[in-house]
Amino acid sequence: MKKLESRHYVFLGLFVVILLTMLLNVRLEIRVSPETQKMYNYIDSLPEGSVLMVSFDHEASAVPEIKPLALSILRHAFKKGHKLIGVSLLAEGTGIGYRLMQETAGEYNKVYGRDLVYLGFKPQYIAAILSMGESIPETFPEDYLGRPYTQFPLLDSVKNYDNVAGVISIADGSLTTHWIEYAHARYHVPVTAAVAAVMMTTYDPYISSGQLHAMVGGLRGAAEYEKLLKIGGSGRRGMLAQTSAHLYVIAMIIAGNIVYFLRRNKRVKS
Amino acid sequence: MDAGTVIAGILTLAILTFLYRDNPVYKLAESLLIGVSIGYFLVINWSNTIMDLMFVPLFTQGKLMLIIPLILGLLMFGRFNRKTTVLSRIPIAVLIGSGAGVAIPAMLDARTLQQMSATVTPILAPDGLPNISELVVMAGVITTLIYFYFSREHRGWWGKSATMGTYFLMIFFGTTFAYTVMSRMSTFIGRMEFLLSDFLKLTQ
Repeated sequence: MKKLESRHYVFLGLFVVILLTMLLNVRLEIRVSPETQKMYNYIDSLPEGSVLMVSFDHEASAVPEIKPLALSILRHAFKKGHKLIGVSLLAEGTGIGYRLMQETAGEYNKVYGRDLVYLGFKPQYIAAILSMGESIPETFPEDYLGRPYTQFPLLDSVKNYDNVAGVISIADGSLTTHWIEYAHARYHVPVTAAVAAVMMTTYDPYISSGQLHAMVGGLRGAAEYEKLLKIGGSGRRGMLAQTSAHLYVIAMIIAGNIVYFLRRNKRVKS
Repeated sequence: MDAGTVIAGILTLAILTFLYRDNPVYKLAESLLIGVSIGYFLVINWSNTIMDLMFVPLFTQGKLMLIIPLILGLLMFGRFNRKTTVLSRIPIAVLIGSGAGVAIPAMLDARTLQQMSATVTPILAPDGLPNISELVVMAGVITTLIYFYFSREHRGWWGKSATMGTYFLMIFFGTTFAYTVMSRMSTFIGRMEFLLSDFLKLTQ
């Protein structure tokens, strides 16, 4: 058997920290950030029955982080009585988006075709975003399951972005930028985002400039949103584990630096 | 427990074995991931692109204009033969030309003009006091731009401003890296939750 190296002990330590904190199943009290509150207020303030377009612009690998965020936002929208049109501009997000919308629609007894429709995937995201600005039925003549656009009562009055209250981009990469650059800039539809934490610094300047109306990100964002909705979920369950993991990483950085300087001093003296 | 959960649980554990070292179990899971992803991508693109956007409208709805993109698409296959490679330059030129035409005005507006406009805001708040966050943004933008201005030697006050710009850059890199760590931790926690609750049924 291969001898364990120091990195193996670091991984093992992180695994033990996360495992123990998750088995404890303790909910950490969290404070809602202004960014999450803004996103919540945006969806909450829309008139009942508003049509929102939800775009699943992420890959399968981001699901553990994106799913709690997406579920919170979908639950909020359905709870407020909004109508949802689902699309996907990344092939991998297509099936995941359909499952998430179906799952949350079932919780609130929403009827497919009247309260939600999932239009599925369209390639060439820039062309798809621009094309929907001209005509959504021409861009998506059928829904995800191949039924004609004209069959659904929800879509009777939805021709382009003028008939949509806003776009929510659920993304793990840069696709939200294209919604901002094309849908918001050209068609003036409000764009909001639920993104993986790794993308938050990318989108912060768009929040400051007002190009992105609101944003919620990462597992922490999901936990905050769940708190606002007064529901339990993966976000809140994972907060103790995440906080402990961060403290562990900080401890490892400090320990690594102490070891480095001690070794360097020893080398200089010798 | 359904078969999907069992397969997902076993594959997650197989991928995590890489933390010890590269091994055949990890290789198997990795190959499965690549194969399934490519297969899924091909099927989705075949049905949503080639069928929905080309063959169905062209052959069943009689949209003859689609012959033009069809020919352009076929010309791309010219790359497979050295004698016909030149033909593939036509669709590439169309792609680059139209892509640049669409993207340049949009990107110039959203990424440059709108961002510049957001930077140029009053440095005094309505109550007459300095708007600290705006001052920080302004200092960050100016000093970072000075750092990237290489036509003048970074010495004296110019050099000090450039050094300050590097501090702003380092803060940005640090924040971005911290968010990356947070994101990867969230992914791992999400997977652990799946293993503990759905797969092993140890937690609710």
